[in-house]
Amino acid sequence: MTAVEPHAAGGTRDQLVDALAALGSRTAEHGGAPAVRIPVEALEQATQTAASTPDVRLADMFAADGDATVLRLVWADQRDKPGYIVTETEIGGGEYPPLSGIAPAAFVEECEIYEQFGVRPADGKPLNRVMLPPHDGAELPTLGHRPAQPPAEAHAPHLVGGQAFEFPFGPVRQAGVESLYYGLVTSGEEVVDLYLFTWHKHRGVEWRLRGKSMREAIFLAERAEGLSAVAVGWALAAAAEAAAGVTPPPAAARTRAVALELERLYNHAAATAALCQATGLSVGQAAAEIALERLLRVNAAAFGHRYLFGVVEPGGAGRAPDAEVLRRELPGAYDELRRTADALLSTNSFIDRLEACGVLTAEQARRLGLVGPVARATGLATDARRAPVAGGGPYTTTPPNVVTATSGDVFARFQVMLGEAAESAQLISRFLDEGTAAECVPLPGGGGTGLGWAESSRGEALAWVTLDAGGRITRARLRPGSARNWRGFDDACRSRNVFTDIPIIEASFWLTVAGIAR
Amino acid sequence: MPLWFARGLRRGVVTTRYPARSDPSAASLPTPPAFRPRQLTVRAVDQMVAECPGPALSRAAGTLVFDAGACTACGRCARVAPHAVTPSGEFELASTTRPALIKLIPILGEER
Amino acid sequence: MKPGQDEPTAAEELRKQIAAQFGRSLHIRTLDTGSCAVCEQEIRLLSAPHYDLHRLGFFFTPAPRHADLLLVTGPMVRAFEVAARKAYEAMPGPKVVVATGACALGGVYQSDPFVHGEVDAVLPVDVWIPGCPPSPLALLQGLGVAVGRLAEKTPGLTFVADGDGDAR
Repeated sequence: MTAVEPHAAGGTRDQLVDALAALGSRTAEHGGAPAVRIPVEALEQATQTAASTPDVRLADMFAADGDATVLRLVWADQRDKPGYIVTETEIGGGEYPPLSGIAPAAFVEECEIYEQFGVRPADGKPLNRVMLPPHDGAELPTLGHRPAQPPAEAHAPHLVGGQAFEFPFGPVRQAGVESLYYGLVTSGEEVVDLYLFTWHKHRGVEWRLRGKSMREAIFLAERAEGLSAVAVGWALAAAAEAAAGVTPPPAAARTRAVALELERLYNHAAATAALCQATGLSVGQAAAEIALERLLRVNAAAFGHRYLFGVVEPGGAGRAPDAEVLRRELPGAYDELRRTADALLSTNSFIDRLEACGVLTAEQARRLGLVGPVARATGLATDARRAPVAGGGPYTTTPPNVVTATSGDVFARFQVMLGEAAESAQLISRFLDEGTAAECVPLPGGGGTGLGWAESSRGEALAWVTLDAGGRITRARLRPGSARNWRGFDDACRSRNVFTDIPIIEASFWLTVAGIAR
Repeated sequence: MPLWFARGLRRGVVTTRYPARSDPSAASLPTPPAFRPRQLTVRAVDQMVAECPGPALSRAAGTLVFDAGACTACGRCARVAPHAVTPSGEFELASTTRPALIKLIPILGEER
Repeated sequence: MKPGQDEPTAAEELRKQIAAQFGRSLHIRTLDTGSCAVCEQEIRLLSAPHYDLHRLGFFFTPAPRHADLLLVTGPMVRAFEVAARKAYEAMPGPKVVVATGACALGGVYQSDPFVHGEVDAVLPVDVWIPGCPPSPLALLQGLGVAVGRLAEKTPGLTFVADGDGDAR
């Protein structure tokens, strides 16, 4: 089932770094990710070089203010030695070369950067709202200079036979789901276009993180996207550890990994329940919810919190799992999920709704820089657990099998999640055998900059942090998996689907609004 | 569908009897702290207040002000002052007034 | 209604009315004002087999006109205020507002340009349920208190550890 992408002849990460460095100059590494300074006049070419390299994708783009506004692009290189490369470009005049034509994965970030820093691509095209609500007098603080004018949004016009009706949907929806606000374009029942608004829930977490100590920051980062608390907390902690030049003790790193895999397990169980609810299969939903509740109780018994808050700490882990309880309780809880999945896979009326629904092609996933099960279901073998952190990390000795599928539809995503759940149960067992502990190494002062990452259940979570000499944050960037993948939701809904397919596709993505509206 | 029906029957009932009866799963839930006034010193309380990531703890002269409504049961105060703080075990915290969630705890310990 | 001594009576009357009308069948609408998504997951589990709120006569409804109780999560993001007020006003009276989770009670975010920091700043809250997140059991207790079926424990809780005498 695993699709292997052919490598470009002679392509390695070092060669890509050299190619980029030829356009600029190398700077200090950010915790295992080489950094290259690119002057703004070479930025287009550098982006072209990286974007046209097979198996290299744009993982994130963000800016930071200092003496000048610095634009950073984080590239994920997924070839034989997976890892990251960061390019840094100083923006002098308020504009930079348009990049989303070369790397469509950059568009949402271009909008975000305009709202936060007032710098924009030079092509003059409209930029959508990410954080700024359209209300009068909404003077929200920004991370840099306020944009000269508010975003003048436009959504690409789509028509079917000359007719289309456009209306906003949400943000208050059915019971028990997050607020989600989107614009729906339809010619009747068919979804012609769908575009998301995120300003209604935007909490300004990155703004609030400035000046915080790392301990305070982890508390907030866990609650930026609580369903990925371990992943986002780990990514931020790893960024700070990279900035300070320390590595957590191996046993603490394995503690984090156990928590991360438990997080993956319960999220995939929850996604299964949501798929059953979306397809109207109440018995399946009930069975999946039983499995989900059992997994959450395992989390509480092992780590003291149903959603694993408080496990990750800067420098290591704050709580060790009760290994005896975990070994005793997890197999039964996982088995509950597996048996439910087996029954679902034999229920044709359920599978029929999933097949050919919400199709994404590998090309779309690659173009948009998607991550997680959404990307893997199209055949892209991208998994942040394959990228070793400085000092090795727990997945180096116990590398996970990357589960992929090829059809790119809801069914493929479901299959990937089930394969990953099986993998997670085994990984947890192995990590427990190798030993876990609640230990932290102190983060020395002196300041620094670092990049951190973790594979959440919904895809790679990235974080980047700059610490001052006292260890406080001057700039923190949080990029949960949801922030990357919601843009794929538009495309997936557009591919010959009808209204009733939207909840099914939403469940198969299993993202959160909180993860993009942070 | 017979498959699901049979599965359901075999699985049995998992529904809690709560609130009519207590539920054993409540024992592993995180709960807000309970304090030991005679082990609390001003210094320990100030450390706990600094460690608390939210506004749940503050000090007013010789009294620890604990806002159980703002508490996330993160456990950091207990780690900083383990002799003075223990889990309360209380998870039934609903309140019809906001002030009823704010508790005043006297600081009776002596600095050593 | 005369101020002062009649107000407690009016509140008691409302409580009795709520217990009579909602005590046996309650329809709940949920409202997310900026949560991290975990409170929503616990709320969804209320209709899961382990908790099954239906056995208590509680039901979720997507229709504001049909709802008796508004279960609110999140720190009331300011940009969401208009939607929050509309959701509240679309519900016919009598209605009950329950703020749930540390974010909604002011425990995670304080008032700043992005958020109010607590639900009470915008909507009239009747019941507060602490927790991060409040577990489904805590939510069931909170709903029971909201409809007058369960007595609240909070006034009697001291958060003083046993065996430490002279505590009160």
